[in-house]
Amino acid sequence: MSLPEFKFVRPQSLSEAVAILQQHSPAADPLAPRRPPEERGGIEIIAGGTDLIPSMRQRLFEPEFVLDIRAIRELRGIREVPGGDLELGALTTLTEIERSAIIRQRYPVLAEAARTVASPVIRNMATIGGNICLDTRCVWYNQSLQWRKSCGFCIKKDGDLCHVAPGGQKCWAAFSADTPPALLCLEAEIEIAGPAGPRRLPLSELYTGEGDARMNLRRNEILARIILPRRTANWRGAYRKLRIRGSIDYPLAGVAVAIENNGHIQQANIAITGVNPAPVLVKRAGGLLAGKALSESLAAEAADLAARTAKPLTTSALTPEYRREIVRVFTRRALMEAGG
Amino acid sequence: MAKNGSNGDFSVIGKPVAFVDAAGKTTGSGKYTDDLTMPGMLVGKILHSPLPHARIKRLDVSGAEQLEGVVAVVVGKDAPNKYGILPVGHDETALAVDKVRYIGDNVACVCAVDESTAERALELIDVEYEPLPAYFDPEESMKAERDLIHEQRPHNIEKDYHHVFGDPDAGFAASDVIHEARYIANEVTHAAMEPHSTLAAFEIDPQSGEPGRLTVWSSTQVPYYLQHKLSLVLEMPMSQIRVIKPLVGGGFGGKSEVIPLEIIAAVAARKAKAPVKITYTREEVFWAHRGRPRTIIDLKVGAKRDGSLQAVSARVVQDGGAYCSYGVVTILYSGALLGAIYDIPNVRYDGYRVLTNKPACGAMRGHGTVNVRFAFESAFDEIASKLALDPAEIRRRNLLKPPAITVNGLRVQSYGLPECIDRVIEGSGWGARKGKLQAQGSVRRGMGLGCSHYVSGAANSIIRSDMPHSTVNIKIDRDGGVVVYTGASDIGQGSDTMVAQVAAEVLGCTLRRVKVIAADTDLTPIDIGSYSSRVTFMNGNATLRAAEDVKKQIVSAAARKLGCPPEDVVMRGDLVFRRGASLVEPGREQSAAEILEAKDAPRGGPVSSNAPTVSGKVEGQILRGSLQQKRKEEGRRDQLTFEEAVVAAIDFHGALSGTGSYAPPQEARGGAFKGSGVGPSPAYSYCAQVAEVSVDEDTGEVAVHKIWAAHDCGRALNPVSVEGQVIGSVWMGLGQALQEEMVWKDGLLINPGMLGYCSPSAAESPEIECYIVESVDPEGPFGAKECSEGSLAATIPAISNAIYDACGIRLRESPFTPERVLAALRERDQQKKLNLTEGVSPTAPERFREHGGATWFAGKGPARHELDPARTGRVSDVTGD
Amino acid sequence: MKKQLISIRVNGRTHEIAIAPSQLLLECLRQDLGLTGSKRACEDSSCGACTVLIGGTPMLSCATLAMSVALDDDGHGPEITTVEGIAEHGSLAAIQKAYGDWGGAQCGFCTPGFMCTVSALLDHNSDPSEAEVRDALSSNLCRCTGYMQMYQAVRAAIEAERKGRAAAGTGTH
Ligand SMILES: Cc1cc2nc3c(=O)[nH]c(=O)nc-3n(C[C@H](O)[C@H](O)[C@H](O)COP(=O)(O)OP(=O)(O)OC[C@H]3O[C@@H](n4cnc5c(N)ncnc54)[C@H](O)[C@@H]3O)c2cc1C
Repeated sequence: MSLPEFKFVRPQSLSEAVAILQQHSPAADPLAPRRPPEERGGIEIIAGGTDLIPSMRQRLFEPEFVLDIRAIRELRGIREVPGGDLELGALTTLTEIERSAIIRQRYPVLAEAARTVASPVIRNMATIGGNICLDTRCVWYNQSLQWRKSCGFCIKKDGDLCHVAPGGQKCWAAFSADTPPALLCLEAEIEIAGPAGPRRLPLSELYTGEGDARMNLRRNEILARIILPRRTANWRGAYRKLRIRGSIDYPLAGVAVAIENNGHIQQANIAITGVNPAPVLVKRAGGLLAGKALSESLAAEAADLAARTAKPLTTSALTPEYRREIVRVFTRRALMEAGG
Repeated sequence: MAKNGSNGDFSVIGKPVAFVDAAGKTTGSGKYTDDLTMPGMLVGKILHSPLPHARIKRLDVSGAEQLEGVVAVVVGKDAPNKYGILPVGHDETALAVDKVRYIGDNVACVCAVDESTAERALELIDVEYEPLPAYFDPEESMKAERDLIHEQRPHNIEKDYHHVFGDPDAGFAASDVIHEARYIANEVTHAAMEPHSTLAAFEIDPQSGEPGRLTVWSSTQVPYYLQHKLSLVLEMPMSQIRVIKPLVGGGFGGKSEVIPLEIIAAVAARKAKAPVKITYTREEVFWAHRGRPRTIIDLKVGAKRDGSLQAVSARVVQDGGAYCSYGVVTILYSGALLGAIYDIPNVRYDGYRVLTNKPACGAMRGHGTVNVRFAFESAFDEIASKLALDPAEIRRRNLLKPPAITVNGLRVQSYGLPECIDRVIEGSGWGARKGKLQAQGSVRRGMGLGCSHYVSGAANSIIRSDMPHSTVNIKIDRDGGVVVYTGASDIGQGSDTMVAQVAAEVLGCTLRRVKVIAADTDLTPIDIGSYSSRVTFMNGNATLRAAEDVKKQIVSAAARKLGCPPEDVVMRGDLVFRRGASLVEPGREQSAAEILEAKDAPRGGPVSSNAPTVSGKVEGQILRGSLQQKRKEEGRRDQLTFEEAVVAAIDFHGALSGTGSYAPPQEARGGAFKGSGVGPSPAYSYCAQVAEVSVDEDTGEVAVHKIWAAHDCGRALNPVSVEGQVIGSVWMGLGQALQEEMVWKDGLLINPGMLGYCSPSAAESPEIECYIVESVDPEGPFGAKECSEGSLAATIPAISNAIYDACGIRLRESPFTPERVLAALRERDQQKKLNLTEGVSPTAPERFREHGGATWFAGKGPARHELDPARTGRVSDVTGD
Repeated sequence: MKKQLISIRVNGRTHEIAIAPSQLLLECLRQDLGLTGSKRACEDSSCGACTVLIGGTPMLSCATLAMSVALDDDGHGPEITTVEGIAEHGSLAAIQKAYGDWGGAQCGFCTPGFMCTVSALLDHNSDPSEAEVRDALSSNLCRCTGYMQMYQAVRAAIEAERKGRAAAGTGTH
């Protein structure tokens, strides 16, 4: 399968890139679905390309322009900023992240999660920005044009029905990247470049929870960097990922935890991926855990919360019920490991 | 010597040598079909059916034809002749003529100047379908009265067989224990790394000025059958068709019959009047399929208190998909190969090969035996545990006593199964460890045993005739180069190397001298192909005979030179000498054995070998002029170089060539009942395996730590290659056991890609220790038998038996995915029921599972697809979940 | 769509070629440069048969746009090494020889990808642990070998390289 035709642009600076986006984007409406049905044209950002290219082959994207951001120096690098936060350029590759001494030391759960993405070769290409912005996935969507014609187009692309929740109007495609739950647990913030200059927001506010219009990212904006706050540095963490193979596979479910612990849990976060249309922080988990000593029963209680937060559907291999059960087991285990 | 090396006194065989085509593979210079191009070559792209079962009411390709860059569009009526791999199953056409029968069926083919133009043109083809009721489950399909998939197959049953050998009822009556259960094995596919590819080109005939001969380069395991079917569909004489097999990137059975693109490419080249290449996308490979059908096995096994088997009865239903393919053979193998491994006096077999509206199943590594072996070896362990017998012991108590003829007429001569069992039992520390492995937290460990066997080629060919199954020619010229012309198709299993080794061994020359020309129907004599593990046995025997034929001529000439009777002439180590003569190489005295050692440097030798240069092409050229002279001067001698002997033979006999062929002996061809043709083989391979696994009882995840695999291959002609084949088979069985599964929903394949299909990566692939057992078959070439398929089947039950040992759950549905394992564990512990497995219990499966969710053609929700039958009122029942 | 002229550096040579912007590096290598060693096998970028080295790092040529690795106006840009560039001075590199000797390649279709991944591993780490080798191999799918004999091949290549270095008197680096 060849790629659909497009024009290629490769700006050297962030401002140039934003200007190009601005020029080729429809009126900026932050909450408009990223791909309304039947839409052609527009512009897509490419970073490592490991998500966008296979999807374009399947005609999930047929943009008029592809904007390659890899020549933009400002988007590279890991650096410590005054005040002690750590900034990662959006183009930082997952290989760089898993190997970075400072990340391994201060934010081990991020390095651990990065290490589980796809395969080593893919991680050489894959960027953290692309991982955060990864398109949601569904077995009824990530298929060739021919396949989707056979099956009937769905809400997420070209159609108005859902194969996962027949009769439903919402898209349930599952967010399936590994690093965002770790980043959520670390209370990461992101900086977004746009025509009006940079804006900064907690990562948790990037995601909409909709499978189709997945992000609050306008079409003329670029995710520029990720900021890991000093306050969560040295939190202990663990990431558990459900996959069929020990390599290559996307998460069928994933659980990250990060804990500040000195005898008793001071603060803690739990986040899940692969089971909902967005990576989500498990609400009330922090409240439940804070101030207590970690025990199997406490972990089991938190695991219940996580399992209840999970909304797995038939978007992937392995049944929803199984994936929910695994969220429970993995949460308990991740907590015991991070807290033990 | 390595653990696995042949014992006999051989020069070339029994030694681990690199494949003769290895460098092309590691440097990227080797050419596979898709790597070939020709001037003016067009790209072919196929339009596939979006519907599982429908009549084509209208097919309008004019839009596509008008697109700039499109040269031709081919449709069904351009080549309507039916074909199929089996003479009894001619039910395919190159492109659909009136009906489509599965999602992915072939409708039209565009030939254009490049891929993207062809892809765009596909969008411009207008097809109107009339949807027909479709059948997705074989047991449902068997009830069909109308809207049959093929008119000539009532109830959509492709073929059913009902065999009774001995007196099964009496056998069960005499049994002390009877075990009865249903087993289900889900569907798997070959997933060879190379997607199918075919390039077809016509030549202009100089006499008529019209298109004449056709040459087809194709990724095929069966060039000869391809030539045959092309002739049938194109209505051209076989003599006008040349099929060439370039390097093939794996087959495993997926290229062992004529695949639609091979015919389509030829038809397209004819219509486009230009060379056409079609290479499947990975999704198309999944649709072409021909893999292992999902199978229901209702098995009943009876044994006496001492463990001796009394009777076996099996009802097997295979979901064959929309075309016959090898189906009739598959369903027969499933019954026939219940035999020839253990001594079973009474057998009843009811096999049903059923048509459904899904991609056609066919032959896949371990053809026909694998799923039934999973059931049988699991049941055997269940019987053993009822009788409190060790699994190894019950198997030992039921061994055959060869030479033997089984109740269903299979002749067994060499039989290494007892030694295979011994080797893995010993190697794995079974006695001390089985049942005693320590649990760690929620993770439990266990060990399991499984055995299997396979044919070394079918004793009866697909097309019944008396022709030899393999013929090989050898030419040796004055340069001393040995050229072997073999029809054997190397698909990565190393048959070219095997052929070279056998020829070199017989001729006593170095491997380097031998050049293999293979699988080109213009150059190489007929060989029926690489399937049913027949190549080493049959083509190896033909090579051996061809080499002996030419050797005879060299020996008779050499005998005159050496002044001894021909019986005393020895060809070895690139020398021809009188038996008992002491050999002199310039500068030093050596025994023949020493010379051999030096010349056939084993693996792991230095990168650029500085072993003495074997007299070869260059020296040969120089020698040639002076040899006659030299001979005259020297008179009688004790030894000749290989070249000298060759020159003497050519001077004496004229051109030096030999030929040999092989057909299985009459005694090996089986009984006389209907269906008796499938199962018989001149020899069977045997395997035993022990798997060590751990099961995480919280998650149901299974990890395989190690597999000990012993395989009786008769004689290992190339141990490194035998190990590779055995390990590869075990590993592929592991994939089927744990993670590979074609997931269906209403005939739609949910995971038609490498990402979704999940063949194992290096990360979770366990250590596999291979023991080669050499039973030395009386009829195999140097005693060799098959080694490339038999081991696959034992792996699945070995793993399932190990899971049982670890945590006491008996999985009767493969693959043993974590959700199935967890469901079984929760059943064991009588925990609250969760719907982990779509309502199908993995310990007592009743039916095939489908993926959740809903498709448009059998689903609910707003219909918007223009082809949606719900829209036109043609389908009223739209419940989907 | 109109093609554009780009320069690209492959196996030590610079090529000027006209390509459509949508062309993948893999297609460009196979079709425009005739370097058919890199294979197209999966279409979902999961199998690694198309792996090449870009700036010495193994990457998937099926997920890389040719435009993205084109040289800029000053002639700067990444050096691409394909399997055809792995052999040394017309002879097999140690890893290539070892794959042949130890059965690391059966059908050979995945082999070019493995050659690139494994040679990059050995370039960066002359003595990788078993786990490191496994990790490297886990990027590429093989359907024939079960990967087992590849470990032997990698070990043999490491040994051959070590001997080679010792013979050349260069020691380890
Ligand atoms: C076989 C295979 C297996 C995989 N397995 C996993 C897995 O296990 N876990 C996992 O998390 N991922 C997996 N992936 C997906 C992917 O490789 C990673 O998520 C990767 O991090 C994506 O990054 P990229 O730079 O390659 O993204 P790209 O493909 O370049 O981009 C991905 C998306 O993000 C957008 N984007 C990228 N950068 C920016 C930016 N700076 N600002 C705004 N938008 C941006 C793009 O427009 C695109 O929509 C897999 C991919 C493949 C092919």
